[in-house]
Amino acid sequence: MDDLEKKVIDLISEVLVDVNKENIQLDSKIVEDLGAESLDIYDMIALLEDEFNLEITDEEVEKIQTVRDVANFIRANP
Amino acid sequence: MPRRVVVTGMGIVSCMGSGLGANWEGVTSGRSGIGPITLFDASGHQTRIAGEVRGCFDPKEYIPLKQLRRMDRYQQFAMVAACEAMEDSGLPYPPANPFRSAVVIGSGMGGLQTIEDGAKIVNERGPKGAKPLLIPMAVINLCAGILSIKFGFKGPNFGVVNACTSGTSAIGEAYRLLAEGRADVALTGGTEAVITPLSVAGFNALRALSTRNEEPEQASRPFDAERDGFVISEGAGILILESLEHATARGAAIHAEIVGYGATDDGFHYVMPDPSAEGAFQAMRLALEEACVEPRQVGYINAHGTSTDLNDKMETLAIRRLFGKEAEKVAISSTKSMTGHLIGAAGAVEAIFSIMALKTGTIPPTINLKTSDPECDLDYTPNHSVSRDTEYALSNSFAFGGQNASLLFRRS
Repeated sequence: MDDLEKKVIDLISEVLVDVNKENIQLDSKIVEDLGAESLDIYDMIALLEDEFNLEITDEEVEKIQTVRDVANFIRANP
Repeated sequence: MPRRVVVTGMGIVSCMGSGLGANWEGVTSGRSGIGPITLFDASGHQTRIAGEVRGCFDPKEYIPLKQLRRMDRYQQFAMVAACEAMEDSGLPYPPANPFRSAVVIGSGMGGLQTIEDGAKIVNERGPKGAKPLLIPMAVINLCAGILSIKFGFKGPNFGVVNACTSGTSAIGEAYRLLAEGRADVALTGGTEAVITPLSVAGFNALRALSTRNEEPEQASRPFDAERDGFVISEGAGILILESLEHATARGAAIHAEIVGYGATDDGFHYVMPDPSAEGAFQAMRLALEEACVEPRQVGYINAHGTSTDLNDKMETLAIRRLFGKEAEKVAISSTKSMTGHLIGAAGAVEAIFSIMALKTGTIPPTINLKTSDPECDLDYTPNHSVSRDTEYALSNSFAFGGQNASLLFRRS
């Protein structure tokens, strides 16, 4: 796991405080496995946008399923 | 025939401490909860003192971290006080009859700190800076909604916005719901967390706050000739109300009965009370009339007593008008002398103190009452609590906007 992936997990964990951080794996599905609901997703987007200084549109969010997808999206949008 | 309504649960968070025990011990021993503002850098403000809820308050004990993240401070106070009140009442939750269980919560300004933070970020970064939790944390009705989620109360549910009268108005309206038979149980009270840069600046602009910054514990001095404004504070008071029938059916311990509620408006001025005291007098009179109680039967008045020049004179006159010759016999006190002014939570916290006075026979004092004001010449229970067996207690709240509300409690 690289630094970027670790940072993504930190931010997701900040929103999903009730999920044990060790259970947040790169292949975890954010909704199905980690139990995020719509307000959590919006909350995460806001944190990620702030941290990485980028914009994630609602269409792009649709394509993101796993923690790895988030990291890959950030790499592709430096 | 209106149904009888009783109080079966109480909870408090304030600058005096977390929990009813700490609060009652604090106010009966005449302790001030006022100190320097630490919630923000107040060095540029005229007023740099307040009644902050400090270290003893640990919302994590009561609120899962995930929910905590989604709640403004004003909502956290209400949740913690509500958990205490529910536990005190012994009511199981979710209730057997959720649609007969109401939530009515007063707050003057709701999630003001959230709004201030949100406005700052949007000004700096543009609209994208707004956080998804801004609205749910800011609006005033969400507190009642959050309590419904927590306790499964799915009946009538709303926020009450009435500035400094919010808490008393909320309890009064919840009492009406139960008296009219529209619900059997109500979780009610008030909550406020507006020790914020904007709020203190705004109240300073109105010249409403004490600026006795060097002597925080002496700053709130209701009815004293040297008073110079109110001291802002924060917290929540929550009560569980039940119809008498509902409470007795489950064998609940009853703290007191609510027997009257009067609500009026001065129709006079934006922020000044009507100096004739007509509106305040009528609110108290209506509360007594509803209960068919004569003024001489009232042993204690928990006054609004803000420590502003105009309120304390007006309230004294209102009490004189209602009680006539009996005015000098009734024990009066302003617990704001110790707690400061909890704005929308004040009436709820003071309703609880009124009930505790009935239950324990102890009248909490008005502290810092050192120099008499010829226009405030009643028995305000100066500086030390007194013992007094009392059957009826009145609790008053008055607001910027001219709202007046008065609740009458009977010892059970």
